Amino acid sequence: MRTNLSLLLLLAILMALVPSVLQGGYFVNVAIVVCIYVVLAASLDLVMGWTGMYSFAHAAFLGVGAYTAAILGRDLGTSFWINLPAGTLVAGLFGLLLGLPSLRAQGHFLAIMTIAFQTVVYLILAQWTDFTGGQYGISIDPIEGFGSLSAYFYLVLGVTVVALIVIRLLTGSRFGDALRAVRDDETLARTIGMNTNAIKLIAFAISSSLAGAAGVLSAYHIRGVTPDDYTVMTSASIVTMVVLGGRGRFWGPILGAALLVLLPELLSGLADYKHIFFGALLIAVIIVAPQGLAGTLAQRRAK
Amino acid sequence: MALLPQFLANGVVIGSSYVLVALGLTLIFGILKIVNFAHGEFYVLGGYLAVLGSQLLGFPPLPALVLVIVCMAAFGWGVERFIFLPIGKHDPTNVIIASFGLSILLQNVFLKVAGPEPMIAKSGLPAGAIRLGSVFLTSERIAIVAAAAVTVTVLLVVLRFTWVGLSLRALSENATVARISGINVRRVAVVTFMIGSSLAGLSGALMSSVFMVQPGGGVLVVMKAFIVVVMAGMGSIEGAIVAGLGLGVVEALVTGYLGSEMRDIIGFLIVIAVLAVRPQGLFGLKTERS
Repeated sequence: MRTNLSLLLLLAILMALVPSVLQGGYFVNVAIVVCIYVVLAASLDLVMGWTGMYSFAHAAFLGVGAYTAAILGRDLGTSFWINLPAGTLVAGLFGLLLGLPSLRAQGHFLAIMTIAFQTVVYLILAQWTDFTGGQYGISIDPIEGFGSLSAYFYLVLGVTVVALIVIRLLTGSRFGDALRAVRDDETLARTIGMNTNAIKLIAFAISSSLAGAAGVLSAYHIRGVTPDDYTVMTSASIVTMVVLGGRGRFWGPILGAALLVLLPELLSGLADYKHIFFGALLIAVIIVAPQGLAGTLAQRRAK
Repeated sequence: MALLPQFLANGVVIGSSYVLVALGLTLIFGILKIVNFAHGEFYVLGGYLAVLGSQLLGFPPLPALVLVIVCMAAFGWGVERFIFLPIGKHDPTNVIIASFGLSILLQNVFLKVAGPEPMIAKSGLPAGAIRLGSVFLTSERIAIVAAAAVTVTVLLVVLRFTWVGLSLRALSENATVARISGINVRRVAVVTFMIGSSLAGLSGALMSSVFMVQPGGGVLVVMKAFIVVVMAGMGSIEGAIVAGLGLGVVEALVTGYLGSEMRDIIGFLIVIAVLAVRPQGLFGLKTERS
């Protein structure tokens, strides 16, 4: 656990050098997007990898966080420092809402419900024009004191490191053991007196609140929100990152997110076919290495 | 209230297509236990094949439908053979993620190949509405109901009287005993998947002459097919027919009296409510725990 955290800090320091070593806004932009997707993938993994539940609605929480910040900023004029915790909290509450059906339904039923939830959130964002701005969305002013791109990058990097440390501490604690118990055998976990309902709800709430925080960060990065950024395609991208990297392992989703953000940037021809590539990759990884990159590496090393 | 018969007739037309998609899904999902999230994209693919057959190749309606059925059966064979068979050996729950990947893949392939513009198939049937009492329907819409009725009848006959049907029913009751009794489970699984795929494609093809075909159109369809299968109870053919027509009628009434924006949201609320209250479905038996 300690090696994981020190490696994480080392990586963060290396990342912090990006704006000074690689000149130009392009690299800083890519680094910000990597950070945001790392938070998204790592938080989704709390539900998908650690607790063994399906969620194809992670982009909905991203959207809830982003729109919370945008609407608060527009109607009440609140600053980023209020909007970030507010977006986190509201997305967490929506996560509880989606967690409720998970108490009754499992496997494919839960997967269907999460897609339904994702679609309903999108329809509301796109169609409730008075409140959400419809297809035009809402624009957001830059944060005071963080107007420059590299300053904003340090802010995003800081939040990312905090989020990853929270996830690492949670999964390494007794709560992490509880999540794994629910994943491996829920009936057994309940038999020995664990409150599996509470555990699942908390997992959903924490996972979605972190996605909400990522949503606030991305909204301030692109200086606005539009519903088409929060579709099932975005959810699919996050699922691909988690599965490719390796479910239920600390480095898995981080690796998956970094790879899948960087690949379309490196291969410029790929950007147009990004979602086709992600879909095919998802199928291929599940067939060839269902444990993902991190899982396969760990298995190699164990041998 | 004067419009009520018209709304009901519209509901039966939409419901007929739901029945066909849901029958395909209930065979694959209820009997083979494969959760195919890409089923809605199979429906869309059927629609595109119908556009291809009727518009580009200039086929009359029946040969165009045969083209759709043959292509979709072949496509279903390939998907079963190269995606679901290899995964099933590792871990059945991974099928959910792979079929989600297939759904994303197909949607974006449609977008690249056919473009975002909606398309419509040419039915070759006489234009203009036909009057039945106080109800007006176009000939395409009547053809959808007729084709659905014929398909459902054929399917019921096949399931009841043929080798495939007998093996299928045996498989759905107890796979192990079916295998011991000498049923080639692999072959039945492949044939079932091909039938399910063809049914989805056929439904998409029939609807493509009335509603536009577009790349993302399958998402709503697969949701509705799952709603129908869940309401009906897994693997229940008769239940799927009742629930499919029922959902079509409810949606038509909601559209008629509350407005079309509410239609799709109502469907989702129904599925969330049904799954939250009775995960095994309205007519389904309670599934055993772990």
